[in-house]
Formats: sequence, C-alpha cells, structure tokens
Amino acid sequence: MSAPKRILLAKMGFDSHDTGIITVASVLRDAGYEVIYLGLHNQAEQVIRVALEEDVDAIGISFLSGQHMTQMRRLLERLREQGLSIPVFCGGVIPADDADALKQMGAAEVVMPGTLSPDLLRLVDGAVNHLHS
Amino acid sequence: MSGRAASSNAGSARDHEEQVFETGAGLEIRDLYRPEDIAGFDAARDLGEPGEYPFTRGPYAGMYRERIWTRRFQVGFGSPRETNERIKYLHGQGANGFVITIDLPTSYGFDSDDALSEGEVGVTGVPISTLEDMETLYDGFGPDSVSYALSIRPPVSSVTLAMLASVAQRRNVPFEKVIGTQQNDPFYQMSGGPLQTITQYFPLEGTLRLCIDNIEFISRNMPRLNWMVTNGYNLRETGVNAIQDGAFTLGHAFDIFRRARERGLDIDLFARRASFFLSCSIDFFEEIAKFRAMRRLYARTMREGFGASNPECWRMRFSVQSAGNTLTRQQPEVNIIRAGVEAMAAVFGGAQSIHLCSYDEAHGLPTEESSRIALRTQQVIAYESGITKSIDPLGGSYYVETLTGQMEKAIGEKLAEIDGRGGMIECIREGWLENQINDERIRNQSDLDTRRRTLVGVNRFRIPPQEEIPLKIHKIQAEQWGARRAEYLREYRASRDRQKWADAMARLQAGWKKGENMVPLLMDALQNKVTMGECHEAMRDAQGWSFR
Repeated sequence: MSAPKRILLAKMGFDSHDTGIITVASVLRDAGYEVIYLGLHNQAEQVIRVALEEDVDAIGISFLSGQHMTQMRRLLERLREQGLSIPVFCGGVIPADDADALKQMGAAEVVMPGTLSPDLLRLVDGAVNHLHS
Repeated sequence: MSGRAASSNAGSARDHEEQVFETGAGLEIRDLYRPEDIAGFDAARDLGEPGEYPFTRGPYAGMYRERIWTRRFQVGFGSPRETNERIKYLHGQGANGFVITIDLPTSYGFDSDDALSEGEVGVTGVPISTLEDMETLYDGFGPDSVSYALSIRPPVSSVTLAMLASVAQRRNVPFEKVIGTQQNDPFYQMSGGPLQTITQYFPLEGTLRLCIDNIEFISRNMPRLNWMVTNGYNLRETGVNAIQDGAFTLGHAFDIFRRARERGLDIDLFARRASFFLSCSIDFFEEIAKFRAMRRLYARTMREGFGASNPECWRMRFSVQSAGNTLTRQQPEVNIIRAGVEAMAAVFGGAQSIHLCSYDEAHGLPTEESSRIALRTQQVIAYESGITKSIDPLGGSYYVETLTGQMEKAIGEKLAEIDGRGGMIECIREGWLENQINDERIRNQSDLDTRRRTLVGVNRFRIPPQEEIPLKIHKIQAEQWGARRAEYLREYRASRDRQKWADAMARLQAGWKKGENMVPLLMDALQNKVTMGECHEAMRDAQGWSFR
C-alpha cells in the first residue's frame, strides 16, 4: 500500500467562517488522508512555506466572504513564481462564474456547498492527482 | 439525548416513510400531547401575561397588535457614500431600521489602505476608517431620527461608538436622544475559530475591557441606545443545536453582566437596553419553544440570580435572522420557502425585529432582487396571514408548553455545566466551546450523508445541474473599491494637523495605560483625524502587543 496522501487545508484573508473546512478536514481524515489544518487568516506566503515543509500532495483553501478571486490569484501566482506545481483546490460560497474563472486560473477543483462526502472524496482525489493524470 | 434510531410504525399505513421522531437537538417527539403532559404546568407561574414576568408570552403587552416587528434592511457595500445613497433610497420606500454591515478589514480594525485589506475592501459591507466616513453614513439623517444597528464587535465597536457620539456632538443632538443598536459581543466573529479570530489582531483582555467600557459609556450617556450583548446568530451558524444555542448565548450574556458588575455598574441601569441577536432555524416548534424558554430563563436569572429589581431588566428582547446554514445552493428558489417557515417560527416566538436570508445565500452576496423577496416574505406574514393578530397564539398548546418546559430545563442544565466550568468566557478560552462546535459540525455532515436528516435538493429530491434556474449574481468590485479608498485616505491623512494628531495618539496610549474609559479618548482622537487603524495601533502599542 502506498503512503497516505498529505493535504494542507487553510483559510486565507480575514474570513473566519470555518464550518466547511473543519468538516472537510474530518471527512478527508476518515477517508485516510493525512490532513494538516493551518487555521484562519493565512497569507499566500505562509501557506506555501508550510506546504513545502510538510511536503504535501495538495492544498485546499475555503472561502465564504467574497475574497476567493484575490486570494487564489495571489496564491497561484506565488506558486508559479517559485516553480512549484502543488495542486490547489478550493471550496465555499463561490458564484458559478467565478468557479469557472478559478479553474481557468489554475485551480484543480472548486467544491460547492451541499456536497455530500462521497462526492467530496471523488473531487479531492481528482484534485490531488490533477497534475499527474 | 434520546436514542438516534429511526422508529417505524409497523409499516401498515399507506405511503409510510421512515421518520425520525425527535427535534433537531434530539428531544423525543411523541405521537400526541395530552392534558396530563402539562400536569406540572402552572399558567400563572410559567406563562403570565405578555409584557410581564416571566415574559414567556412576549416582552411587550400588546406585541404585534401594537407594533409589527421591525423589518430590518441589511445594507453596506462599496463606500460610505454609496451606502448612504442606498439608505436614502430605502428610507424613501418606508424602511426605518437598518443593519449596517461592515467590511472585513473594518471588522478587525484595519483601514481600507492597509496591506492586509487587499481584495476585501467594501465586499461584505461598508468600510469605515474615519469619523468623516461615519458622518457620510449619517448624511441626511440625525442619529436621533434613524436607527442603525452596526454589525461590529469590540475593539472596533468602541471606535464606532466614539464616532456615533462625535456625529451626535457635531450635529448638536444630545446623547440621551441617540437611537440605534450597538453590537457589543466580544466574540462576534464566532462564525468560526472562536479564539483564534478574536485574538489574532488584538489581545483578548483588551477586547473584554473595551466591551465593558462601551457598556459603561452607553449606560451613563445614551439611555435610548440598545446594546447587543450576545450575537447568538453567528454562534448558531457554526452548526450547534438549539439547546446549545440557548445556553451559550445566555451564558455569555450572564458572564458579561458579571464583569460589568465587577466594574461597579448597576445591574438595574446597564441591563435595561441589553438585547440579543438570535438565529431562527428550520425545526419549527423547537425554535418557537427555544425563544419562549430563553425569555423565561432570562427573566428568572435576572430577577432571582442577579437580583435586578427593575422589570425592564427581566425582559429579554431580541432580533432574529433566519438561519443561513439551512439554505442550499441546489434549487435555490426552495430557500424562499425555508426562510418563510423560519420567519413564522420567529413570529410565533415573539421576535422584535426580523431579517431573512436571501435565497441566493449559498451563491454569493445578496442582490437587490433577492433582498426584496426576503422582505416580501415578511410582509405576507405580517399583513396577509393574520398570525400576528392574537398574542402568543400557541400559548397553552399541550405540545408547545411541554417543549418550552423541556427546552428551559435542557438549556438550564447546559448553563449550569458552563457555570461549573467557570463561565462562558473561560469555556471559550480553554477550547471547550470549540470542541462542542466541531462535534456538531461533524454530526451534521454525517446526518446528511446517511440521510438521517433530509435536506431537499441535496440528499433527496435532486435535479440535474442543467435544470437549475440561472441566478443573478452580486458583482464584487473589490479592486476598484480598494483603490478609491486608498486615494481618499491618502488625502485625509495629508490634510490633518500633524501635531494635533500626534498629541491625540499620545493621549490614547496614556489613557489606556491609566485604565480610563476609552470611548471619550477615542472621540478626541477621531476628531483630531486619527483613523480607525491608527486608533487600534495606538491601543495595541499601549498594551505592548504586536502581531505584524
């Protein structure tokens, strides 16, 4: 059996709604992922530093208050600047148009509210293997 | 709590479906309630008259016959000017109360041009960085004529209270005529990560001190200004159940009251204008029972526990918002029905003010169209349904009185547990609350995954995505709004008297260290053009605390 995949989860910016990400962390752990949850109010630089230190297979960010475009753009740009290819997926209250734009920008997956656990696992499995498929 | 098994009814009935016969919080629901179920119920003791102790039937004698609840409009976006124009428009349409939502940088005490604010200026609410911003919000209105409820917590609410007082002073409105609601829950952002988000940018002890400074200032100077003790809404939105909701909300309030008393404030004075902000969720009778039980518990605790002798201090008043976390992204029009059910529960529960979530809640911020439907839903209930015409119409129902008694008992037991742990603030500090919240979140997801609980459109009765009706989406212009605000603040800072500014900053720091009430000092600072962010920087410095 291969080693469990490692996922870094974090909230970015001022938004403090963490019901979604705490629930996702629990579902992923139950499914055998190793999850590192970084908590609230992170900047792109911190997320990337921990992702490297912990050698994670993917990064997941959760949004509720409308900062998803700015924060995801910054995170994906910083990753590219550093030549890193860690898949990043995100989720939360994100309008459909923005979800498309985020995927164009390079997000591996956008998970919407009301996703049941089996569907979540399928989406995250896909995102983790995003660059290897 | 009772067992979690679904009970089946021998399968004899036609169209029989498996059901779970318990409330959202796990109280068992029996097939029928009979007179003997309320054998211990004493109408004089447990019900009383509306507007009288123990206020089970409502906080006011006439209730909705005399005055329909306030249908509050939530406004706040872009800039103070745009928000003020929207308020003027809505005022012209007959709205008299407004919840002003503040953008996230302001909620944490940062100016619009702070590096941390990038991408968040004007998005979830209005940015307020200067006294001039607050004056703009009040353009065309006096603080004695229109009621604003500022959705904010300490430390920031001390600065906005100082702004409000300064606006009154400059308009020659006496403090005693100022109306509105000042939220003053230090744990307001509890919609997640209770402790981290409270302590990330300001020390907890400092936040608690400012909370009591606000109570002291309001109770001495502004007898008509409501102050909101607990934002139970955000707490409930984390996923806790109705019993936890009631206990955590009241437990927090009682803890704050104890602290105010330690400051030497008189319970019969400062608790007069205390109010609450609560969620109304989808479990119809449980929510009604929760509101009635909370009023009774509050009255009993204030009179017997705190020894308050002023009847106004026994009366629990609250505004309600419908539960955003019961709404779905799938088939969003169905959310209109959910909000309607929740609004009716709030009305049967005796709310003083109601705000309904818009049906597009899980897609983005509300549009004008979706906000209008939320208001129309309330108007149908208020003016067409007739359910407002008799006070507490469910009073005396075998079921509702049984459930109200059960809720009072369960909330009371949870309150005793919180007291045993040293009070709510201690429960937050030691991580107990966060554990309670996280357990419920995981249980909620599991209940949906296993279909123990039905969520229409999510785990049953689904449709393919292509059949969904397209929605209008609220457009965010964070980058433009941020750039305009940065330019405004550059000019504001350039135009001030540097020496006066520096002297006011020094007075803020000295006053903090001496333990003075900060509200008058903040007024002085703001009038010398110290900004929101700078006020916070000075108070952090005075505590020898930094996060950057």
